Amino acid sequence: MKMSTLVFCCVALPFIMGLVLYFTQSCSTRKLIVPAAITIMAVAAVTLGANGAFRLEVGSILGLSADTVFSVLDLLLLVYILGIGWKLGSRLIMGMTLLQLVGLLYLKFVLPGHEVPITAFVADGLSLIMVIIITVVGGLITIYGLGYMDLHEEHLHLRVSRQPRFFAIIFCFLGAMNGLVLCNNLSWMFLFWEITTLCSFMLIGHDQTDESKANAQRALWMNVLGGLAFVSAMLFIQKSLGTLSTELVLQKMTSLDVKNTAILLPFAFFCLAAFTKSAQVPFESWLCGAMVAPTPVSALLHSATMVKAGTYLLLRMAPAFAGTTMSTIVALFGAFTFVATCILAVSQSNAKKVLAYSTIANLGLIIACVGINTAASMMAATTIIIYHSVSKGLLFMCVGAIEQRIGSRDIEDMRGLYGKMPRTAIITVIGIFTMMLPPFGMLIGKWMAIEAIARATQAMTPIVFFVALGSAFTVLFWARWAGVLVSSSKMHEHPTYGHPKPSVMFALRSLCGLAVVFSFISPLVLKTFVEPSVSGVYARFNMQAEGFIPGATLTGAEGYVWIYFLFLLLGLGVWYAWREARRVPESSHAQPYFSGLTEVKDGVVGFRGPMNVFEPVRVSNFYLSQYFGESKITRAIDIISTAFLVVLVGGLL
Amino acid sequence: MLTIFSAIGGLILSPLVGGLLTGFDRRITARLQSRIGPPLLQPFYDILKLLGKQPLVTNAWLVFSAYVTLISSALSLLLFFMGGDLLLLFFVLTVGAVFQVVGAVCVPSPYSNVGAQRELLLMLAYEPILILVFVGFAMCTGSFSIAAVFQLDQPLLLKMPLLFLALGYALTIKLRKSPFDIAASHHGHQELVRGVQTEYSGPYLALIEIAHWLDLVLILGLCAMFWHTSVVGMAVLVGASLFTEILIDNITARLTWQWMVQKKSLLLGMGLALVNLLWLYVA
Amino acid sequence: MGFVDNMIKRSRLKSPWIVHFDCGSCNGCDIEVLACLTPMYDVERFGVVNAGNPKHADVLLVTGTVNHRNQHVLKQIYEQMPSPKAVVSIGACNLSGGVFKDTYNVLNGAYNIIPVDVFVPGCPPKPEAIIDGVVQALGVLKAKMGLGPEPVTTFMPGDEDGTPDMTPQAESAPEEAPEKPLQNAG
Repeated sequence: MKMSTLVFCCVALPFIMGLVLYFTQSCSTRKLIVPAAITIMAVAAVTLGANGAFRLEVGSILGLSADTVFSVLDLLLLVYILGIGWKLGSRLIMGMTLLQLVGLLYLKFVLPGHEVPITAFVADGLSLIMVIIITVVGGLITIYGLGYMDLHEEHLHLRVSRQPRFFAIIFCFLGAMNGLVLCNNLSWMFLFWEITTLCSFMLIGHDQTDESKANAQRALWMNVLGGLAFVSAMLFIQKSLGTLSTELVLQKMTSLDVKNTAILLPFAFFCLAAFTKSAQVPFESWLCGAMVAPTPVSALLHSATMVKAGTYLLLRMAPAFAGTTMSTIVALFGAFTFVATCILAVSQSNAKKVLAYSTIANLGLIIACVGINTAASMMAATTIIIYHSVSKGLLFMCVGAIEQRIGSRDIEDMRGLYGKMPRTAIITVIGIFTMMLPPFGMLIGKWMAIEAIARATQAMTPIVFFVALGSAFTVLFWARWAGVLVSSSKMHEHPTYGHPKPSVMFALRSLCGLAVVFSFISPLVLKTFVEPSVSGVYARFNMQAEGFIPGATLTGAEGYVWIYFLFLLLGLGVWYAWREARRVPESSHAQPYFSGLTEVKDGVVGFRGPMNVFEPVRVSNFYLSQYFGESKITRAIDIISTAFLVVLVGGLL
Repeated sequence: MLTIFSAIGGLILSPLVGGLLTGFDRRITARLQSRIGPPLLQPFYDILKLLGKQPLVTNAWLVFSAYVTLISSALSLLLFFMGGDLLLLFFVLTVGAVFQVVGAVCVPSPYSNVGAQRELLLMLAYEPILILVFVGFAMCTGSFSIAAVFQLDQPLLLKMPLLFLALGYALTIKLRKSPFDIAASHHGHQELVRGVQTEYSGPYLALIEIAHWLDLVLILGLCAMFWHTSVVGMAVLVGASLFTEILIDNITARLTWQWMVQKKSLLLGMGLALVNLLWLYVA
Repeated sequence: MGFVDNMIKRSRLKSPWIVHFDCGSCNGCDIEVLACLTPMYDVERFGVVNAGNPKHADVLLVTGTVNHRNQHVLKQIYEQMPSPKAVVSIGACNLSGGVFKDTYNVLNGAYNIIPVDVFVPGCPPKPEAIIDGVVQALGVLKAKMGLGPEPVTTFMPGDEDGTPDMTPQAESAPEEAPEKPLQNAG
């Protein structure tokens, strides 16, 4: 297949499908178009990935030069956001967008043009695996959205369906994300970046309640701040390095012997843009607020893909600031975010908020790895990006399905879910275990991260302190959630199965299977996509591959052996345990111990309390909100993180 | 090939060693309390008796969790004997601990649930310390692999004394000894009836107990790594650690979790670890 | 398999874990039971551990007269103990109601509620007697497993003739303990 066709299918086709879907009123037509489009995109993405790294020139689009088209689209987009800002009456948004417009115009017309024509699309292993993740995981989430949104609109008693708008925006978003990770030109990346901001704003406010509109506005201004930082970075780079090609920028930066503060400043701005996009502290409130959106939005944008855009940008730009103090500050900042949001997650009983904080935490871990800036840490960062997207997307979808059935997203209300929604409960439990247990991919990524941190040369001790502490906190909130889901007072539950929407169950099962299989083939994934991308970066930019110990990584023969050894033994053990558990006879059943006063009434277990009154059992998790609660520690976290940012940017000015 | 056989051999011997060490533990505790104490083989009698009891459990997930706990502990010990990666070992150990908690949370019993929450807080207290100790190992030997420790010619204790003390905290918590036995104290002591282990009964309690022995052997093995140059040194270190644990158990009272996490275990243990790491880093 | 089976059976005798329940005792017997765990009498040398949880216990030590409310608890604790198990009835009150026999709130001893294997008389019985009682319970278990003879009942002086009928009446326990409201609630 021609490379340009494949790229078209991944980048441009979604926008076209989005337009088509916007005008598709009929539900059944939509249910035909969406899976078909997703299948085409997924096939294209996988084929693209299978072909390996590539470069693609795009000379002209519809007769006009590509550069012109993109510049016009950039400006139109900013004007549109300005209009939104005006409609919302937000001077903050309007001001920042105006500044962006001015900056962009300055960039286009005042600063000298590019020295060398920029290759449009340059993809290495990182881009390719991200395209696959975006298209496949994103596609499954979109299919999930078909069933989910039907029920969602039923619950809201909408007379006119808003699904055309919903799916149109989702598809535009998918195209924008694919474009973002594939393109080489920074101003094109900026266009896609701002499109994702816009999509996020429109999707968070989709339900049009007051709360969602307020949260959408908050998301918008924080992301627009990031966009402003992006434009500033582009301006500085064009001025100092004379090019907007990512490749050339990195080449020039890595060939410099001394990186003085002036030349690092744009990268600090890139960091700022990435931190807002990835909702790092102190910007985490927009992501937590975005949880009011319908679940496919949370799954797709706010865990699997959009927030990864920030980390992707930093990972791309990492060689430029390798070995500098700025890099160390970024690493410390990421590690601090990791531990702070893990602590916050412990105090939450709202499942979506737990997932949101956990997402931010993992993004912080990725940024910490990026900041450490060695080959080993880059591999770790890439691995975490990949596996986190898969697992977190799955978990969000599960929570959405659960919420629609039981009407609540509180973990305490999910107690005993195995008796009501066994398939979803099992998938959720598997999802939780893929997030935190070996031999799954996320754990492999965390393992690589800690190994990379231990080998880092700068500021290792505080970073490893934060990561060790945060990692312990994650076990807390995952383990208790998993236990709550399978809680039961009967020996073997014989639940009545509900009737979930087929698209929802299909998506859940597929992504669950994908998560497990993907973890199983993790050495293959690492060898095909991650290692070539990292070693390619090091080769192209003449960097020293310090900390890169080939035999110790998981792509060597030793690595394969350990992973498969573990998988085999753990798998056998789990299979044996499952078999034994199923064979326990009903005669072995006993009620829990309540000091001898156990009583069962209407299928609910409890005890006979004072005055011979039946008391149903009431158990709950320790949320410890008086120690770890949002109200207690958010303020301190925000102050410390803002201090970090001030040091980061101010230190360079 | 030889290594895997010797590792499996070590794994088979470990419950016996663990049980014997537990027997010593109870005997010495009794002597410290002016009692005679049970025979040395008592833990084996306990396990055999438990294996022969009628199983009485609330739900099948408990059974599943008990088996997975044992399998994970066994697997991490196997990794240890094969000289594998310390971090991987740690993560496999976490599987076991997590499943013990999941098994306790999945029963709607207040004792079990509160015990499980406290067990999670205990894990919060010792996990960061273990990771920092392993990072210390990596700093001294240049790799996270256990096999690399044996290539040093000086005992690690000289370079990492404070980390050894921090490991002592982890050991106290893992052995369920006072003052950190808030989740499920060991034999003869009750806390919340039996805390996280309340609803495990009969053969499944036996599985949990054997997993506990394997963990004991693992952590004592890690302690022994600090003086790998001589077998006598290893024995001395292990013996001294165990005796100190028993002594501390007998002279302290149980702490609340706030004390444990804030003052005694987490911050103090991590502080010690950090100081040592910084010292290693600078040196 | 026979060897393992044999080992398990012998281990049962070497590791009796107890759960101790007070059915309204004056605590005299309870203090004596707990005294057994102290260094003076050190019952841990026989492998006895006070597991407070019936799910973990083999031997149930009961004290106190049993009344209408805690008979349900006693029964439940007994049922929540996995087999093989044994019950030791301690103290005069638990044997037959003791000083409080036939009073309005008392159900004359545990043997009316659950099958009792060993009776330890006394008010309170000495710790040595209690330990002897536990050892006899192990003998009962041994006999049940077919490894030893039925333990011989030891009689107190003066009991040789006119022994009161102490066969367990758990099965034919009079069902006169329905859901009664609190007796002293007006």
